[in-house]
Amino acid sequence: MSERRFSIWSWVWFLLGAVYFLVPLYATLRHSLRMERDVIGFKAYVRAFEDQDFWETFLLSNTLAVATIVASVILIVPTAYWIRLRLPQARRITEFITLLPFVIPAIILVFGLIRTYSVPIGIPFTAIELLQPLTTSKLGTYALITAGYMVLAMPYMYRSVDTGMRTVDIRTLTEAAQSLGAGWFTIVTQVILPNIRSALLSGALLTFAIVVGEVTLASFLGVDAFGPYLFLIGQHRAYEPAALSFVTFLLTWLAMGLIQLATGGQGQTAGAH
Amino acid sequence: MAYLSLSNVTKQFGDAVVVDNFTLDIEKGEFVSFLGPSGCGKTTTLRMVAGFELPTSGRITLGGADITDKAPNQRNVGMIFQAYALFPNMTVAQNIGFGLRLRKMMRDEVNDRVNEMIGLINLEKHANKYPYQLSGGQQQRVSLARALAIRPEVLLLDEPLSALDAKIRVSLRAEIRAIQRRLGITAIFVTHDQEEALSISDRIVVMNVGEMEQVGTPFEIYNFPKTQFVANFVGSLNNSDAEVIDPANGILAMDGVHFKTAEQGFANRRQGDKVKISVRPERFSFAAEPMKENVVDCTIENITFLGSVVRIQISIGNTKFNMDTFNNPFLELPAIGAKEKVMCSKEAVLVL
Repeated sequence: MSERRFSIWSWVWFLLGAVYFLVPLYATLRHSLRMERDVIGFKAYVRAFEDQDFWETFLLSNTLAVATIVASVILIVPTAYWIRLRLPQARRITEFITLLPFVIPAIILVFGLIRTYSVPIGIPFTAIELLQPLTTSKLGTYALITAGYMVLAMPYMYRSVDTGMRTVDIRTLTEAAQSLGAGWFTIVTQVILPNIRSALLSGALLTFAIVVGEVTLASFLGVDAFGPYLFLIGQHRAYEPAALSFVTFLLTWLAMGLIQLATGGQGQTAGAH
Repeated sequence: MAYLSLSNVTKQFGDAVVVDNFTLDIEKGEFVSFLGPSGCGKTTTLRMVAGFELPTSGRITLGGADITDKAPNQRNVGMIFQAYALFPNMTVAQNIGFGLRLRKMMRDEVNDRVNEMIGLINLEKHANKYPYQLSGGQQQRVSLARALAIRPEVLLLDEPLSALDAKIRVSLRAEIRAIQRRLGITAIFVTHDQEEALSISDRIVVMNVGEMEQVGTPFEIYNFPKTQFVANFVGSLNNSDAEVIDPANGILAMDGVHFKTAEQGFANRRQGDKVKISVRPERFSFAAEPMKENVVDCTIENITFLGSVVRIQISIGNTKFNMDTFNNPFLELPAIGAKEKVMCSKEAVLVL
């Protein structure tokens, strides 16, 4: 009897949650389809996709997102791995650092970046310059904004990776690989990374979502990214922003579906040892 | 010269000495077990041979070469872990072939060796399964095959059977021993299970708080323990305080009851010395025929049926001893409270 009551309440809460998420989404969809008076159609979508700026900013943000994910994996996986393996005492410090983006707003971060990297970087008290100002070139600015995105995504990426590593016996797997002749690079790429694949994909998805929607860093660094574009057309147009928001939702779901596809069949392997 | 040699190896973690001045020579093809309770340093010693820990002092040589400071991935030492440590993202065949691929062997050669190893552990039908699709026993067999595939110079087994249930444990240990004998590989086996060590080893190193207590064959360790710790840790033992009565003739007294011992060096003791005596439960028997020595009166206190063995608790004077006798369907057991005579040979009375 109690099992049945539990089941009903589970459904009630589930439906309430679903309504909470689906009603705004439905409202957005409905609004995006009513660009022409008394007609339901895809005109807002057509207009949005016809805009060359949309494709350019969207492509740029996607490229920056991929760069951020790759750089984050290169930085965070070995760090989290080494902390788990050899430096557990550094865990608190690392966790504190990874939480800083929650405390320090993006506006502070971007002003810090601009102030530091808009002048040549050299050795103090000498005339030797090591690095030209990053903000004066496009490539430099992209590198700068990617680094900024890495900081913003760090809490999510680090936690995802760390949680993934908790589910596998990192130490024993490392020692087993070492005894078979593997070096550090082989261990990380062939043993550790494949076994935290689903955690890595979750972190990557969150990073992707943050980068594609980010406005502050891109606006102040003058990067024509998707976030500022969406913000701009939101101020000037009525229906296209709704259409693009809905498309962004669909893309997020698509990404989640791909993660399920990629990890679903192997879900248990991570914990098995 | 020994094949594997540990010379004065000491390991300290901070101020704690975990392994103290450990010296041992192991011959090629020998199966040696490190036996001892948790924290005795047996796993740390094994990990120093594997290269996962560096000795604080002392040297380790393998095949004449000093490997003390070599990285674990350059030692060619196979290791089997309690937790199997199979790579979850790889199939059985891929796990076994992992070390071979790292050695840049040709694909055909890798496949041949993998098939040979899978045949060795009788898991032909499971070659393409992932570790989570296998039982614990099967996973440990794969782990054994993976370690052997690289043809290691030494096979190290760190409590490989501890996570398995009792029946699998017994069958797998026999399998490990048979494979080790067939391949003639040198092996070090770490365990806290004395039955395991006694059944599988050529020699046993009994360890306690970082030190070697005794090294010997299973027969020597069980029958001629050199210290109280070894006697207590390996097998069951009855212990009691006693007093030396006649050192020249090996006579001592426990609660006024006289026993004779054949212990070497007993003659050097002095009359009145306090000693500890130990007798294994199976060395007692009911005095069915007249014997000259060590026939004593006892009272039956309790009887416990343990399957193949019946354990009878007796009291001799004020001291309670256990006495084991093999079970058989026609065994006539005394009543509880009955007065009986039991005996044991003078060789059974150990003075430690």
